[in-house]
Amino acid sequence: MKAIKLSLNQKLAVIVMVLGLLAVFAGNPYRGNTATLNVKELALLVDKETDHISVDDLADWIIKGRADYRLVDVRSEKEFAEYHIPTAENIPVASLFEGALMRNEKIILYSEGGIHAAQAWFLLKAQQYKSAYILRDGLDEWKNRILFPSIAENASADEKLAFEKRKSVSAFFGGSPRTGTADAKSTPQLAMPKLEMPAASAAAGGAPKKKKKEGC
Amino acid sequence: MNAPFFKFGLFGDEASLIVAFIIGIGFGFFLERAGFGSGRKLAAQFYFTDMTVFKVMFTAIVTAMLGLFWLSVLGVVDLSLVYVSQTYLAPQIVGGLILGVGFVIGGYCPGTSCVSAATGRYDAMIYILGIIAGVFVFGEAYPLLKDFYSSGAMGKVTLPELFGVSYGLVVFLVVLMAVGGFVGAEWVEKKLAAKVKGVQQ
Repeated sequence: MKAIKLSLNQKLAVIVMVLGLLAVFAGNPYRGNTATLNVKELALLVDKETDHISVDDLADWIIKGRADYRLVDVRSEKEFAEYHIPTAENIPVASLFEGALMRNEKIILYSEGGIHAAQAWFLLKAQQYKSAYILRDGLDEWKNRILFPSIAENASADEKLAFEKRKSVSAFFGGSPRTGTADAKSTPQLAMPKLEMPAASAAAGGAPKKKKKEGC
Repeated sequence: MNAPFFKFGLFGDEASLIVAFIIGIGFGFFLERAGFGSGRKLAAQFYFTDMTVFKVMFTAIVTAMLGLFWLSVLGVVDLSLVYVSQTYLAPQIVGGLILGVGFVIGGYCPGTSCVSAATGRYDAMIYILGIIAGVFVFGEAYPLLKDFYSSGAMGKVTLPELFGVSYGLVVFLVVLMAVGGFVGAEWVEKKLAAKVKGVQQ
């Protein structure tokens, strides 16, 4: 048998051709929609509640203008348009993986009560999003504690002092504190504040993204 | 450039700058070693007398493509984390032509001009001044160019998505294109070398 002598370039060309040919049958290189979960690790996270953010902390961050996190409203577009927490962006659960969120970002999720946010949290965790958090008790709690805080009639001096602080936070977000004797539950329809702070909506197209420049 | 490790959070912002610095030094070093610090060699590509630029670029493309494809198939790399720039067809064609014309006239592309300037060539330093002037003019004229600049946005598109074929097939076709290109390049070089010799005799 006669040995075929190949130059280095020809050998490399053969290797490349083989790798290229095999690629046709290798399938899709993108990881699809399936995921593997470390259930034990997630269970511990849930147990320790380190994945929660309180509405007080969030209000504080918004007032301070912190921008090291993304506040994501997972409700529908319509609900988002009616009211949303200032600085929030709208990404319904079904659109979570359409590329708006990065894995290295701090993401705070909220929904009406918290169920949808918690489910979205699981999906993100399954896809290796490292720092996803849930707003504790969601928009309901935001309304109760931030927008329309109330105080019991027989409140102690300390509680009254804390309530004064809440009032100013509420005013910042355009809410109205509930004072006096009226029972919070029986208060007639509380008017939701108007959306004054600018908010970007990812689902509705949002602001045009800036082009990133890369060159040779 | 240092994705996907950066996006995975393997290192932070500061460390990423150091990584970028090291990669940049390496990139510049190998460009210089490949002879890309010489405007003559680069310009020769456009007269088809020296196909080194073509060969180096295509080698880089094929190596990176096969590497990324197989590493992601084997589960080492998550391809969805790799940055894909957005496509604006007409503006990018015009931009590419302007860059190409500058490349032929000046003998450098932006990257190689820096490499060449670092080795002390005056023409490359002048070329960099030209780049800065161009950036300045573009910046000042941006309000006039804005509409065209952002026209025809197609978002992030890849060839397999655009043509509805599998990734593997595109990989194979690019490999065929590269190998065919190499054979063609060698042939052109030989042909032109003979011609140049003939003229000299």
